Amino acid sequence: MCEVTLPMTLSFAHRHVLEDHIVGFETRPNPHHLAVVRRPTILCVLAHAGFEGGVKAALHALEGVCVRICGPAEWLVVSHSVGPEALLRLVREIEGVSAFDHSDGRVLMRIAGPNVRSILAKCLAVDLHRDSFAPGASANILIAHVAGNLARIGEDAFEIIVPRSYAGTVFEEVKEMGREFALTAGFSED
Amino acid sequence: MASLITCPHCGVRPKEEFSIRGDAVPVRPAPNAGAEAWYAYVYVRDNPKGRIQEYWHHAAGCRRWLVVERDNVTHEVFSVRDAADVARSGSGEAA
Repeated sequence: MCEVTLPMTLSFAHRHVLEDHIVGFETRPNPHHLAVVRRPTILCVLAHAGFEGGVKAALHALEGVCVRICGPAEWLVVSHSVGPEALLRLVREIEGVSAFDHSDGRVLMRIAGPNVRSILAKCLAVDLHRDSFAPGASANILIAHVAGNLARIGEDAFEIIVPRSYAGTVFEEVKEMGREFALTAGFSED
Repeated sequence: MASLITCPHCGVRPKEEFSIRGDAVPVRPAPNAGAEAWYAYVYVRDNPKGRIQEYWHHAAGCRRWLVVERDNVTHEVFSVRDAADVARSGSGEAA
């Protein structure tokens, strides 16, 4: 038996019936959250024939960047702290390299949560078990029918890079796949 | 299963990531080869049953051309190699 006591004065704020439909039902991140990074630096880097090993080592030696594998002798260099011009200058100092700024042409999304693999399993057909795709791994993968880059940044956290013209589709698709776990989405703080 | 291709660069991938160009057996003739040789290279194809070699492009992955050796009856895949490696190890220096 419990008594329900209502406060004597109730204040009502006017709220349009479609408010949630427009703004989103959840305003704070749930355990499963899709974060869109506003302005990351993303460079596309290719190594000339014969310089693959040297370029790879030099890229990994750069500070404040993550190196994502696209294929043989091709990488995406991602940074949240160094601007595109400064990073491009640094990368182009490496011998046998061709580097281009793709920051405006690519969209970076970060998805995290305890069941993130179940969400991703609905829109990509690659085994993401840690035995075959360990934290730190990255690869070009078909994501929601779009050729993108997937990186595992933690046990239950992944980063997706897709071309900007397809970003809307991928974003909507991943949100839909995450409905089972009440996936929320928003811009990230950094 | 032919629906899973083990890319030498990317690992096991679904066939949706690839596009198939066709037979990898015909060798491109020299530019000054006769019309007969070019006609045969461009148009004349066998329709073999069993073990075949094909060019597959890993369009949604590493974007490399691969040579896939598979059986078109059982769908068994025997080998997947980078086309550049095949060309280098094959007939001569460069394709």
